[in-house]
Amino acid sequence: MTWLLAQTSYPDPMSGLTLAHYLFVSGAMFVIGLIGFLTRRNLIIMFLCTELMFQAAGISLIAFSRFHLNMSGQTFVIFVLTVAAAEAAMALALVVLLFRRKESLDAEQWKEMSG
Amino acid sequence: MLINPIMLYLVLGLGAVGLCLALPRRGINPQIVGGVIAAVAAGLILLMLGIRTTADAGPGALPNVFFYVFGFIALAAAVRVVTHPRPVYAALYFIMTVLASAGLFLILSAEFMAFALIIVYAGAILITYLFVIMLATQAPAEGQDEVLADYDTSAREPVAAAFVGFVMLAVLTTMMFRGVSQMPPVQDQQARAAGVLAQLPGKIERALDRAGTLEPGWSLAMEPGTERAKVDVERGTVTLVDRFNNQREAPLPAGLEPKNVDELGFNLLAEHPGSIEIAGVILLMAMLGAVVLSRKQVELDEEAKSRHASRLSQSEPSLDREGSGRVPVRGATADGGRGWSGSNGTTAVEPSTGTRSAS
Repeated sequence: MTWLLAQTSYPDPMSGLTLAHYLFVSGAMFVIGLIGFLTRRNLIIMFLCTELMFQAAGISLIAFSRFHLNMSGQTFVIFVLTVAAAEAAMALALVVLLFRRKESLDAEQWKEMSG
Repeated sequence: MLINPIMLYLVLGLGAVGLCLALPRRGINPQIVGGVIAAVAAGLILLMLGIRTTADAGPGALPNVFFYVFGFIALAAAVRVVTHPRPVYAALYFIMTVLASAGLFLILSAEFMAFALIIVYAGAILITYLFVIMLATQAPAEGQDEVLADYDTSAREPVAAAFVGFVMLAVLTTMMFRGVSQMPPVQDQQARAAGVLAQLPGKIERALDRAGTLEPGWSLAMEPGTERAKVDVERGTVTLVDRFNNQREAPLPAGLEPKNVDELGFNLLAEHPGSIEIAGVILLMAMLGAVVLSRKQVELDEEAKSRHASRLSQSEPSLDREGSGRVPVRGATADGGRGWSGSNGTTAVEPSTGTRSAS
């Protein structure tokens, strides 16, 4: 076990966290978002679940950035935020358009669009 | 391995069962039971992680309480986002997830991103979601209680989705718990930050000026041929130079360590300048796309038309009471709800006639 934990004499008393802790939270959040995307039928909630997955990716990026002491991870989260904002604007405009057409947010109503 | 794999898979299976039960379904709905099971599973995994790492870190090391608190809140709120039948509440729970993740970012000493996350996500994106949820929800007909739509109350294939999701999580955790090491100490980060400080001559000069160390005629010495100041962070000195090229060293004022924002700004502008432009273009295209999409006139399809017509005819008595200006609605319902798309020119039920005639 000692080869795993190279820095056992970590001076900070609030320590004991490994990269895996953050990766677990990130992975669990991603999987919850994925399950929500697969199971829920409301278009808006499906897009909320994609935001949840973006969030999980952001957590793991920041954790890796801290682990490797490299700021590029944090910089990348800025771009993830940008893409999330752009995606939200486009997706919500589409959702409003679809709702005006069928008066329903049910994803099953658009079954005929599948190839 | 950080955790015994058999235990890990058992607890993950427990979480899958809990999440599966918590998803909304028709008929008997054991949502609370499922929520409790999922919460117990998440708590157990975090507890196992905590006990193992505390044992590894040696005696006297406290586990990082804030990580467990924020991590648990984030996961529990995420489960609630996925399982809540009402979209508004799901969006509010998502704000809670965002706040808890911002807490995790703070623990990881990414202060700027933590606040940017709250401002951009909780402040901007989620408000847009809330607006759209309110725009795209059917108002209940008069005299009726609000009923949840069918597509909100029944999930699609919850068992299969939960199974697939948690198999994926099991694979991920098996990989990630193999050969992990602790986060590097904060001192390493400070040493690395010294490189950033040398690129901030203006900041050093202002601090020296405020401390009264910078006498008139003296200025900061630069490394030859570069824009970097001559700073020795280890010894805490900075080299000054005057007009006649006399050099002397001065103590570095306290509190000059580059903050998270300094480092992030340098990384963003020095290493990814092209990406900023691309991000700007993406945002512009998204804005234009959203405007174009939402100006588009849509025709209701047949099914929705008939539903709309029946709803209008139900609420007709109340419309009649409001005044003679609403009378054309009767004609609109007679021709199958075409009044909704504005084709017969009534203004009583057509909210967007003005924009259409202007375009």
